[in-house]
Amino acid sequence: MIKKTFAWISILLFAIFAVYPLLYIISVSLRGDDAFQSQSLEIFSNTSTFKNYSELFFKTNFLLWLRNSLVIATMTTIISVALASTSAYALSRHMFKGRNLMLFSLLGTQMFPPTMLILPFYIILSRLQLIDHFLGLFIIYSSTALPFCIWQMKAYYDTIPKELEEAAILDGCSAWETFYKIILPISSPALAITALFSFMSSWSEYVVAAVILQDPLLYTLPLGLRSFQASLATQWGLYAAGALIVSIPVLILFMSVARFLVSGLTLGSVKG
Amino acid sequence: MKLFFSLIFLCQVANSLEPVRIQLWHQMIYEHRSVLAQSLREFEKENPDIVIQETYRETEELRSSFQAAAIGGSGPELVYGPSDQIGPFATMGIIQPIDDLLGQDFIKPFDPLATPEFLNKRYIVGASVGNHLMLLYNKKLVPRAPKTTDELIEMGKKFAATGKGNYGLVFNYTEPFFFAPFISAFSDKADNKEFSLELDVAALTKTFEFILELRDKHKIIPKECDYETANALFKQDKAAFLINGDWSWGDYKKAGVDFGIAPIPLISKTGKWPSPLVGTAGYSVNAKMKSERHKQATIRLLKYLLSERAQLFFTNKVGVLPSLISLRESDVVKSNPLLQVSTEIMKLGTPMPVIPEIRAVWDSLRVQYQKVLAGSSTAAQGAEDAKKLAESQIRDMNEVLQPDASALFIKILTLLGFLFLLWKTYPAFLSFLRGFQGSHKFVYYMILPAFIGIFTIIIYPFFFNIVISFSNFSLKTFQNFSIVGFQNYKMVLMDPQFYSLFLKTVVWTLVNVVFHVSIGLFLAVIINQVMPMKSFWRTLFIIPWAVPQYITALTWRGMFNQEYGPINIFLQNFLHLSPVQWLSQPMTAFFACVVTNVWLGFPFMMIVALGGLQSIPKSLYEAAYLDRANAWQRFRHITLPLLAPVMIPAALLGSIWTFNNLNVVWLVSNGGEPGDQTHILVSYVYKAAFNLYRYGYAASVSVLIFLVLVIWSLSSLRKQFKKEQKA
Repeated sequence: MIKKTFAWISILLFAIFAVYPLLYIISVSLRGDDAFQSQSLEIFSNTSTFKNYSELFFKTNFLLWLRNSLVIATMTTIISVALASTSAYALSRHMFKGRNLMLFSLLGTQMFPPTMLILPFYIILSRLQLIDHFLGLFIIYSSTALPFCIWQMKAYYDTIPKELEEAAILDGCSAWETFYKIILPISSPALAITALFSFMSSWSEYVVAAVILQDPLLYTLPLGLRSFQASLATQWGLYAAGALIVSIPVLILFMSVARFLVSGLTLGSVKG
Repeated sequence: MKLFFSLIFLCQVANSLEPVRIQLWHQMIYEHRSVLAQSLREFEKENPDIVIQETYRETEELRSSFQAAAIGGSGPELVYGPSDQIGPFATMGIIQPIDDLLGQDFIKPFDPLATPEFLNKRYIVGASVGNHLMLLYNKKLVPRAPKTTDELIEMGKKFAATGKGNYGLVFNYTEPFFFAPFISAFSDKADNKEFSLELDVAALTKTFEFILELRDKHKIIPKECDYETANALFKQDKAAFLINGDWSWGDYKKAGVDFGIAPIPLISKTGKWPSPLVGTAGYSVNAKMKSERHKQATIRLLKYLLSERAQLFFTNKVGVLPSLISLRESDVVKSNPLLQVSTEIMKLGTPMPVIPEIRAVWDSLRVQYQKVLAGSSTAAQGAEDAKKLAESQIRDMNEVLQPDASALFIKILTLLGFLFLLWKTYPAFLSFLRGFQGSHKFVYYMILPAFIGIFTIIIYPFFFNIVISFSNFSLKTFQNFSIVGFQNYKMVLMDPQFYSLFLKTVVWTLVNVVFHVSIGLFLAVIINQVMPMKSFWRTLFIIPWAVPQYITALTWRGMFNQEYGPINIFLQNFLHLSPVQWLSQPMTAFFACVVTNVWLGFPFMMIVALGGLQSIPKSLYEAAYLDRANAWQRFRHITLPLLAPVMIPAALLGSIWTFNNLNVVWLVSNGGEPGDQTHILVSYVYKAAFNLYRYGYAASVSVLIFLVLVIWSLSSLRKQFKKEQKA
């Protein structure tokens, strides 16, 4: 009994810790112009208004940014899932010279301070004439998301017994058919996570987009949100409202794949 | 054949009929942007052959993006910004002199303040003049503005006494720009109308003491006050006086504050007026033009934007002071009482310096001053250190490293290294290529696309940085850097600051990862074993992971705010503690960063742990139960060892991410505040590269970070491999 009470208390405390910042964003987004810095702890008060939301949707290019972000995040997700699922499979199933080096260099890509990569990114893309093109962002986003995706897909494939493929080959499947018809379907939890991860990283990425997209009509949500944040005059209400709406699709996505998350996120496997 | 040529000709004609697209980057505040847009659309209507695309960029971002764009050989034709950005831009050679482009006569009708000189050329023409600080007073709370600081203190105290949470004076006093006006007023030297690079230690000490007195002795300014807080307090009638610039008027008018303006009061002790910096915000022209047509179009646009018509339009709409002298006598200016007073205040001002070195002065002032405010340094010591730091930063910024003997050595070494690598990897590479024809070609085709992507996009930047780390790439060698040898590395490794930052980064990583893993594990075990509705709790705890990082970071910064942050309000209202100045003390600011990052990172570990827990067979626990093992023993001997293979790679990845997490530290501590005391290595790199233009130095620190992480992960992976072999 004591144990249960302790568990409940601690989990409720952590729940407050986890949820409160989101509630705080909600409360700021509902405050009117003059009261967004206020000394009350109430989330909703009688001055709450949806003014910021209506302004966001009707007076700014918010819907355009939303569309751009959706296009970019979706394309990045498709590319990353396609490339990560195939190359990770090869890395998991086939031993060849330099495989470990390849695996380690994947991890290595996460080690260089990312801020210093922006300038060279810009140089590459401007040589390729891809500044102000979504294609440039697809390339950068999917290749920066790939290392983690490949690592985690490979770890998942490692847990699938090899006997499955051997049986499939005996039944007359080609290597591609085995992968496509047998392995991919049972890897759906890991695929869901790869998709989620690449969607999320491109959905909320800001720094690279800021350098590559110069045309306001191509702005993504994070860029749009930042424009409410002038050096000395931030539109906090609009910013909070926008921030909340940006978080919602990711939250929904997370909830819909939550059941896969637990079984799919394998970075190493338990030997049971 | 003839037909072919005429086709080409036709295409060219068609091409030239298409409107030219001119890009303009600006950093105008929200209210000014719509005025600019209207003005530009008007221009497009009259000039159908030109299309203008205006892009808003935050000041610092405009600077770094424009630099990046210029290296890449493109960028906007026109840049609009404050005059102090022309120093670095002109030094880098990425903007061109306007007097060469338009001639001296064009410049004459402008206020000299709007056309500051840099290296005998004019690189900017201001569209408005001002940007200076003044005293704003709320007419509802106080009848008039004070003449002297003694009067200010007296009036301020009187108002502060009227209610809890009321302040006499508020302003963004941690920013050097906001206290700079006082420095000259405390100086013993005769008034010279120039902001000197050499800091006056005596005057600076007195200025620091003055601000400390306002805060601690007279208690008329809040203990912690950033721009937003000052703004909000003034708007909510909780502050009688405010020091702010002319750009802020529109905001207060919109909020319905009845305010007046006056010069910052005369310093009673010295009898001198504080001298605000007066600058301009205006247009500069990119040094590279895409074509002659672009150039002509840019000139036309520039002339339009600076014309009487466009300036009057702006003055009418947002009340800025026009830069054309002729317009000062116009009705719009004459009938605007604020502009009249503001013009008088401007006469007390000092022109805003435009040389790039000023950045180093601001930065060192900010760093040392914030240390003084946080109590980690005395006023006299801080002033002395600020002078020293400014000198050394100016030296670092201007230093052009010369190639030494090691430069040649590196070139040879690179060549040898390349050959060695080729020789070593040649067989593997060959066998890899051969694989495409072998029986497993399927496998090779599957790997190829992903690795092409990764290699081109990540490996090129990686080598680019290695090259830069051996070069003298900095402000002065922006367009023509060369390999100089190991000097950057030597500088980094000889600097004691590097080691203390390194230590701090290790502590930062360790603390974060320990919390991530332990909270994640704790929650996972509880959810898995005790709680009903597992999926509900699981989803709830994912929330922090789902919110984009930059939003999280700024939200937590808001929550730690001394005046309006819910954390302090909670402490005061429920625990009856005094508010904590989280963000202006080095330890608590670092604590704030850690809390934010812990919040961000534990869900990932929880999910990984939950996945691991699910695959532990229930029978093991049942057997342990029969053996009367208690909860702790079960955890210690079953859960922990079986989870380790799952958690260790996750923790390793987590430690790499945390080590390199710039977002949280930079955004929560607002770039290392207070006084550069919250930096970790990556934020230090960011600052060196983008604030102080020391790309070569920053790249060499980055390479060192990379090496440290490689060694760290290799050693921990090796342990893992050994364990697996034993098992």
